[in-house]
Parts: sequence; C-alpha cells; structure tokens
Amino acid sequence: MAEPILAGVAESDLGETPDRNWLDNAAIATVRALDDAGCTLAEVDGVAVAGGDDYMPALILSEYLDLDEPSFLEGTEIGGSSFEHFCGHVRDAMARDEADVVVVAYGSTSKTGPSDDRSLEVTHPVDGFVRPTGLFRPPGAYAMAARRHMHEYGTTEEQLAEIAVSTREWASMNPKAAQREPITVDDVLESRPIADPFNLLDCCLVSDGGGAVVLVSEEKARDIDVPPIAVAGVASTSTHRQDVSEMPDMTTTGAAVTGPKAFEQAGITHDDVDVAEIYDSFTYTALVTLEDLGFCEKGAGGEFVSGGTTAPGGELPMNTQGGGLSYCHPGHFGVFVLIEAVRQLRGDYTGDRQVDDAAVAVAHGTGGLLSSSSTVVLRREA
Amino acid sequence: MSAPVEDRREEWDGPVPVPTGATEPFWEATLEGALRYQECDCGNRQLYPRAVCTACGAEDPPFEESEGVGTIYTYTTCHVPGEPGFGDRTPYVVGAVELAEGPRLLALIDAEPTELAVGSPVAVTFWRVSDEAAIPVFVPE
Repeated sequence: MAEPILAGVAESDLGETPDRNWLDNAAIATVRALDDAGCTLAEVDGVAVAGGDDYMPALILSEYLDLDEPSFLEGTEIGGSSFEHFCGHVRDAMARDEADVVVVAYGSTSKTGPSDDRSLEVTHPVDGFVRPTGLFRPPGAYAMAARRHMHEYGTTEEQLAEIAVSTREWASMNPKAAQREPITVDDVLESRPIADPFNLLDCCLVSDGGGAVVLVSEEKARDIDVPPIAVAGVASTSTHRQDVSEMPDMTTTGAAVTGPKAFEQAGITHDDVDVAEIYDSFTYTALVTLEDLGFCEKGAGGEFVSGGTTAPGGELPMNTQGGGLSYCHPGHFGVFVLIEAVRQLRGDYTGDRQVDDAAVAVAHGTGGLLSSSSTVVLRREA
Repeated sequence: MSAPVEDRREEWDGPVPVPTGATEPFWEATLEGALRYQECDCGNRQLYPRAVCTACGAEDPPFEESEGVGTIYTYTTCHVPGEPGFGDRTPYVVGAVELAEGPRLLALIDAEPTELAVGSPVAVTFWRVSDEAAIPVFVPE
C-alpha cells in the first residue's frame, strides 16, 4: 500500500497563550507546518482535528482556514492518541486518491483557558459511578494503575522517577521545553504528592499550545521534494473509557495489541527502532507502554528504564524533546509525539540532541485514562 | 445483606448521581443498604449497570444482590481534590474494589492509606448523598 509522507511539522507558541483560543493555536500550527512542508493552504484537501473546545472541530478549523471544500474530514476523538490514529485513516484515504495534502492539527488553552464548570448533578449513568468517588482524574486513575503494577511486579517509585529524570535531560537541550533544569530521582520523590504513588514530577505539565503535521501522498511528496518520512505502520485500539476500574488488566494497555500490529505492518523488529516517542502523561504511562510495545518483558519496565536507558546516549532514546513531563502538554500530547519523531528522522538537530542516523521511529499515543492506544512506525526512506 | 447507610445529605458537597434508566435499580437498592450488580441469564456479571449484557447482548440483564465484600484491586490517595466538594476531605483514598462476585467497582475507601494494601479485604457501607442515592463507600474488614 502507498505510504503517506510526513512532509511538515510545527508547533504554535507553547506555554501560555492568553490571547489565543484553541482554534488560533491549531491554525497557527497548521500554517507553520504547511510552510515546513513547502505547501500552501490552497493545496490542503484534507483536515483531521481532535480535541478543541468546540463541537465539530474539523469543520470549525476548515472554516477558519477558509479551506476550499476539503474531500477528507476526520474528527475521531480518542483523546491523546487521536493523531496517531488519524495517520491510518489518512493512509487509507490517500490509497483511494481521496486526498493529497492532509493537515492533522490540535490546539488548546489548557493552561490559561477557562476551567470546566462541572455540575454536581451527575446525570451521565457511568459518571454517576465515578465522579462521586472524587477520584482526581487523570492523575489518580493512572496512579491506581501504577500501584497495581508495583504490586504485581515490584516496580518502585524510584524506577518511575528515572523516567522523569531521563526525560528532563532531553528537555535541557530543547529551548522550547518549559522545564529545563536537570533533576534527580530524589527531586522527583520529594516533589509535592499528587495522587500516590505520583508526585508532581511524575505528572505532565499543563500548557497552552498547538501542533500540526502535514501528510502528503507519495506523488505529492515528489513534487515538493521533502525528506521522505513515511508512515510504515499504524494501529489503534481501546480498553475502556470513563471508569479505570473497567480496564481489564491495569498493568497491560492497548499498546500490547497495537505495537505488534504496527511493527508487523512496517516489517521491523525492536532492534530496528532508533528513537521512541512515547506518550508520557505520567512516568508510568511511558513505563507500561515500553513494556507493552515489547521493548522489554512485561513487568521489567522498571529495570529497563533505570540507569539512563532512555536518556541522551542511552540504548533507546525516548521523548527526545522532553516529553509531556518537561516540554509541553496542552492536553492531547499525541500530535507532539509525531512532530518530534519526524524531526529526529529528518536529522533536524545537532549535537547530543540528534539521535545518530535515526532511520526508524516509533510514535505512540495514549488517550483518556490509559484508555486508547495508537502506535505509528515512521521510517526514513532511502 | 444490609449494610449501614449513613445520612450525609447535610454535609455532602460533592457530585451526586442521578438515577436514570438501567442504573435506577442499583441506586434504589443503595438507600436500603444493598449493593446490586447485574447477572445475566448467560452467567455474565457486570457493573456499572447497563441496558445490555456485555457478553451475550441480552437487554436489561437482571440484578442480583452482592454480599458487599471484596478486596482492594488497587487504590490511590488523592492529595489534590478531583471534584468539587472534596477540598476539605483531602487527602482521601479511592480504590478499585473487586467484589467477591467478580465485578469491580470504583469507590471511596473510608480508611487511612496506612491501613490498606492491594488485596486488603473491605466491606461496603453507604453514604446517603441525596434523596435518590447513597454512594457505596468501602471500609477495611
């Protein structure tokens, strides 16, 4: 099957954007990503948007950008993994010649925007079983999964903290990262408790901002002469949604299903992976995903991430822009996972920030409360 | 089984469930101190209550009464309130309770975290938070 080419990537301004709304940020990221791809707005014939504070975000962004009757529209909302999920639909659409230039976009004002004003009368049947417990979501839900993992496999808080430390090392080299000061395992353990076993530094940031990637057909890619970063494999699934106690096994995520599928489609093994961009809403999210994707045995994630395995110079460079833990996290981090994977494969960086000769990347999105998983394998074509 | 039902209507500032559709028999029973789950003719047991059986698709699977005991599958101590009305309660414990009958239920755990571990036995009590519903709250057994 023809593989779409990731031709352009960009962020909007990150951090605090009090004068922008989600749509502004998504639109700014879109035009910057198009510029990166050497494409124009007039060429866009497909739009995929998740998140946003409005109903029908794909239509709203299309109107805002005054797109001329786009033939591909996508708005499947599976949280932070939506953008990886879109890559599969874009591939299918391009195989049908339905679109040649598709924008996958996200924007939010998670930090400075209005917080949601929640009613105390819980009329949604499922939420009636969840919200009266007071569970602080998402951190508490992920924390419950992490505790179960600790119980079953002996994973320690120190091992979880190793992920935050390694990720911060990467962030220290990224001028766009919100947090760049190096930290230690003790710093993580001594940071403010949020939801046991998580402390503040086990948790992602809250940011404003947007991101976009532009996917083009192979034919279009030849016209615009971009570095050919192809979508070589993609798969998605879900295990539950509102109630984390519905998760069949809290120590195994949907990545155990999507990883093998995406790897098989791409025809790669773990040894081929040069860089991993793994959704890290919390330290545990990255740990359990590494296990489920098969980078180590189930239960061995704690040992695997210890000693700088995922840090600069480590065996598996992970979250090389500083991740959701240190770079930015405007709500649906999945789009930023793709952006960084493309930049590493293109060799956009210099020095220690650039993973040597990176040719294959895994970009993994997680959505909801460990609820959805989407894995994309990206490959730099010769 | 009939577990204690404590009337907390005066002091409760948190979210209150509104019984609708398939959940009505569940919430009605809570007012009497009974914890119900659905057990379909096909043998599947499920919570939260749904209009269909997730195993065979039968509509409106019937309710059975739980013994109201189980074990902690996992838990967390929330140091940040997750809902309106929980500020004064912080820190508090929320757990996933595996009932003896099988289904798992997310619930407040009325205990000090030091009293708990994964696998700890717990029993249900109820806090009446509205005229229509009493929420299940588990305590160490």
